[in-house]
Amino acid sequence: MSALHVSRRQMLQISSLLLASTALPTLAAAQNLPKGGRLVVAADSEPKNLNPAIVASNGVFFIASKVIEPLAEASFDGKDGLEPRLATSWESASDGLSITFKLREGVTWHDGKPFTSADVAYCALNVWKPLQNLGRIVFANLTAVDTPDDLTAIFRFSKPTPIQLIRNALPVVSSVLPKHLYEGTDIATNSANVKLVGTGPFTFAEHKPGEYYRLARNENYWGKDQPHLDEIIFRVLPDRAAAAAALEAEEIQLAAFSAVPLADLDRISKVPGLKVISRGYEALTYQLVVDINHRRKELADQKVRQAIAHAIDKQFVIDTIFLGYASASTGPVPKNASEFYDADVPSYAFDVERANALLDEAGYKRSGDGTRFELKLRPAPYFNETRQFGDYLRQALAAIGIDAQIVNADSAAHQKAVYTDHDFDLAVAPPVFRGDPAISTTILVQSGIPAGVPFSNQGGYSNPALDAIISKASETIDSSERTKLYNEFQKIVATDLPLINVAEWGFISVASERVLDIADNPRWAVSNWASTALQP
Amino acid sequence: MKLIHKLIRTPEGIAGFVILAILIIISASASLIAPGDPLRIAGQALLAPFSDMNLPLGTDRLGRDVLAGIVHGARTSLFVGTAAALAAITLGLCVGLIAGLAGGLVDEILMRVVDAFQIVPGFLLALAFVSVMGASLPVVVIAIALGAWADPARLTRAQVRSIRERDYIAAARVIGMHPAEIAVRQILPQAVPPVLAVSATIVAAAILTEAALSFLGLGDPNTVTWGSMIAEGRNVLRSSPWLSIIPGIALVTTVIGVYLLSEGLAKALSGTHAALTPREGERS
Amino acid sequence: MKRSLRLVRRRLLASIPVLLIVITLTFVLLETAPGDAVDAYLLSIGGGDAAVADGLRRAYGLDQSLTARLWLYLTALARLDLGWSVAFERPVLALIAERLPNTLALMGSATALSFAIGSALGIVAGSKPESVKDRALSSISLILYSIPGFWLGLVLSLVLAVQLRWLPTSGIETIASGKTGLDRFIDIARHLVLPVSSLALIYTALFLRVMRAGMEEAWTLDFVLFARAKGLARSRIVLRHVARHAALPLITMLGLQAATMLGGSVVIESIFAIPGFGRLAHEAVAGRDAPLLMGIILVSAVLVIIVNLLVDLAQAALDPRIGASEASS
Repeated sequence: MSALHVSRRQMLQISSLLLASTALPTLAAAQNLPKGGRLVVAADSEPKNLNPAIVASNGVFFIASKVIEPLAEASFDGKDGLEPRLATSWESASDGLSITFKLREGVTWHDGKPFTSADVAYCALNVWKPLQNLGRIVFANLTAVDTPDDLTAIFRFSKPTPIQLIRNALPVVSSVLPKHLYEGTDIATNSANVKLVGTGPFTFAEHKPGEYYRLARNENYWGKDQPHLDEIIFRVLPDRAAAAAALEAEEIQLAAFSAVPLADLDRISKVPGLKVISRGYEALTYQLVVDINHRRKELADQKVRQAIAHAIDKQFVIDTIFLGYASASTGPVPKNASEFYDADVPSYAFDVERANALLDEAGYKRSGDGTRFELKLRPAPYFNETRQFGDYLRQALAAIGIDAQIVNADSAAHQKAVYTDHDFDLAVAPPVFRGDPAISTTILVQSGIPAGVPFSNQGGYSNPALDAIISKASETIDSSERTKLYNEFQKIVATDLPLINVAEWGFISVASERVLDIADNPRWAVSNWASTALQP
Repeated sequence: MKLIHKLIRTPEGIAGFVILAILIIISASASLIAPGDPLRIAGQALLAPFSDMNLPLGTDRLGRDVLAGIVHGARTSLFVGTAAALAAITLGLCVGLIAGLAGGLVDEILMRVVDAFQIVPGFLLALAFVSVMGASLPVVVIAIALGAWADPARLTRAQVRSIRERDYIAAARVIGMHPAEIAVRQILPQAVPPVLAVSATIVAAAILTEAALSFLGLGDPNTVTWGSMIAEGRNVLRSSPWLSIIPGIALVTTVIGVYLLSEGLAKALSGTHAALTPREGERS
Repeated sequence: MKRSLRLVRRRLLASIPVLLIVITLTFVLLETAPGDAVDAYLLSIGGGDAAVADGLRRAYGLDQSLTARLWLYLTALARLDLGWSVAFERPVLALIAERLPNTLALMGSATALSFAIGSALGIVAGSKPESVKDRALSSISLILYSIPGFWLGLVLSLVLAVQLRWLPTSGIETIASGKTGLDRFIDIARHLVLPVSSLALIYTALFLRVMRAGMEEAWTLDFVLFARAKGLARSRIVLRHVARHAALPLITMLGLQAATMLGGSVVIESIFAIPGFGRLAHEAVAGRDAPLLMGIILVSAVLVIIVNLLVDLAQAALDPRIGASEASS
């Protein structure tokens, strides 16, 4: 999140800088952080399957990442943007056909058994590759994992596999499960999916459905003097307005993932004892996207898509819907993915006249009542902001003579309508950018994806040139070559507009000032919280 | 006419009549008071009431005019309330009439269906129905009507059964009147008034149910409703409480108006007996 | 006593076809829903391909026909097996058993509170119809009766929990507090104050009005006129004759409102984050969890039947004339 838009944004930047600067000295003297205490956190959902190796979603990671660790975690200043966790190093062979992981020594599972390369090999071949939604793409060409000793795992691929992709995907796809509890069982229904056993700083203590999850300190954690907290409790608060009230009443100490409505942040930032933090979500960028159904003849016309892009006042969206806690998008890769981001793409300024002119050119004249044609608009129901943007888009389209009728549905119905039945003209979607285009935005424009795959290109768009770039990038092992291909990809998408990228946003945490050392990595909310502490 | 005359002589009746008349006038002239789409973004977001005379009640999170929302929301509330009540009463009358007249197995089956709808909490049913069918105005109306038709049906059936034993019906049968004609011309007019007496409470319940559904995010997104305004305002309840309070007051006023009218109606119909018993129809 | 037993048996037998209708209608409703449990599940894990979806559908039996699934459900139900919740991966019965006590506590306290206060105020109002006291109470109750519970809940929690901090904002008890016995009871009671008040106020107004209306009517009845003519003390007439006469419709109303109250608790539970029946229903619908929604609707229907049965028994006990005719219809 680099762009500075409004004063509120600046204020936030400054406050997070201040936070960082006060956090640094405490990091240097980590022993001085208070020990013990119970951190109570708001959780807005209760995933039924908590296994992060199978379900790589933020809702699961939020809770499970404290118990089950990945090979490496995202980092602000580490090499390749990574910080070692269960792996201490990773190296790719020059032909791109193998990657060697050195593993951490002296790590034990919560049940006392030692952690070894056999666990990693088992997970890679039996869980990540066949069962995980993202692992299927990342490890598509994985054929074997050699374990010459207990602390070395060599991944072998049938085709050259870019280390860049593996690195970017590690925090998300590489959660390691204990082989001894899963081998020979049905992995999908194993009881350890709900009662997690891992190597992380916290052990899974209990789940009281509808009320809370309780995690307890792992006394034998490999991290020196970690964790600091005795307990973490995730209190189930599905109602967003309840989180702010609970924070103010000091019933909880932390609400992550914007559990406090954006509109309430201004006020809550003035409540003594509470702080508002926008750091810690840099690697969890959500993109606000208008999906387009190219089967509609009007929308198959590039001029109409450009007109729609010109009709959207991104600044209004940022300032009013996101209240400054977002930035405008230029294309399919967000700005804070600086490795891939390319600003040099066609842009579409807010210009109603130009939009109207484009529609006239395309041959869609206004009829007597000022309408050119009607559209069915389906805003995704998952976020307040996607719904509000739907309300706004309807108004923005009305200004250029397009009558959009909003169809609201709950999550399951929305999913079916858009991604299986294609019963939409425009849809508002919030896809996640997961650090590498190959596991995030390319699926939104690539052709040949069967109906029924959620969060993918279901608008009937097909562009052979774009498909070729995407498939070439998946096998290009040279990182700078691969990055160049994705720069090209961004240009084509921004020119042809298979979809319209409107904004990108991270989340906001609100915490009690007693909570120390938070937001210290770009995936903080879904990282292990080993260094987080609570002032008594 | 005589009934209206009697009605406006009761204090409750006149108060309810005035409240509802004002509401109907407001919703009828909604497009004059606040022209254009009420969901249009009209100005700066979160403007407090009375700070800008062009937007007298202020604006919401997206800068939409609160006054326009209230005025057009009145239209939605009254429409949903009356449409759902009308649908429920019509369905109830038909089912009750058929069950009461046919008797025997038909009666038995229909009444078991009525039982089924009566024992399932109406709001739970509406919630499930709207989530499943997708939120739109007609679906909301049907959902509310589904939870409300069982009482009028039971009431009608009881009426029909008592009426059909009366002498003049027997007489009509003897002179060879067609059963359908008897049903429509002789029995129906007698069976309707008691159902109408509880109709106002059905309207009030429908308005409240619609608000609760919208509050849970299950209203029609293309129309402004008071329930959705309250739900939206809830996110900023502490900093901009008026966003929830104003539509809340509008809602309460409307429901009070309906209840007052219903009390007045009941008094006018039967002397002094008050009838604020939403499910007055007795169960078998 | 024998008559009561007969009444119970008749009622229970009569409820079987009704419950069958409820089950079938719910099944059909869920069948027409766009999206199924697999769609909802894939969404929660952030995506998956068509092969996974087909595999899951087979595993859950969703690839079978509607009638086959309905038949399977009914045969399982005959063994008191409510099935397996797809969204929670747990038996439906266990889920319901876990959530039901919270809702029963909420509804039970709200009923008791509104019944006690409502009837007491109703007696005050009805003891002298058209008096100042009566008019004031009637007007206030009309206003209270018009306030939607969810709105009241919002305002109460804002003032009493967030601003004044007298009471907890949400939840059913202090989480993981380790409290037991009396301490825990007090803790739960404190958490219930706000939701119970939000739910009970509207019914307090209702019971007040029903009681008052019944009493107003009773004043004109012969036995009351006779008692007055005899010169009995007014307070004695009010309690012994008038109020007693008015109590019957009040109890009827209690039965009639059971279903409505259960519905009302859905919204209240969502505002106060109480893990109860209503919220479970919400989650079942969102997860397209047919067995769970079915179980919830079925159990709430059974609850309503039981409440009404109790009401009928109470009425039969209070007024011998009613029982006979009730039992025969």
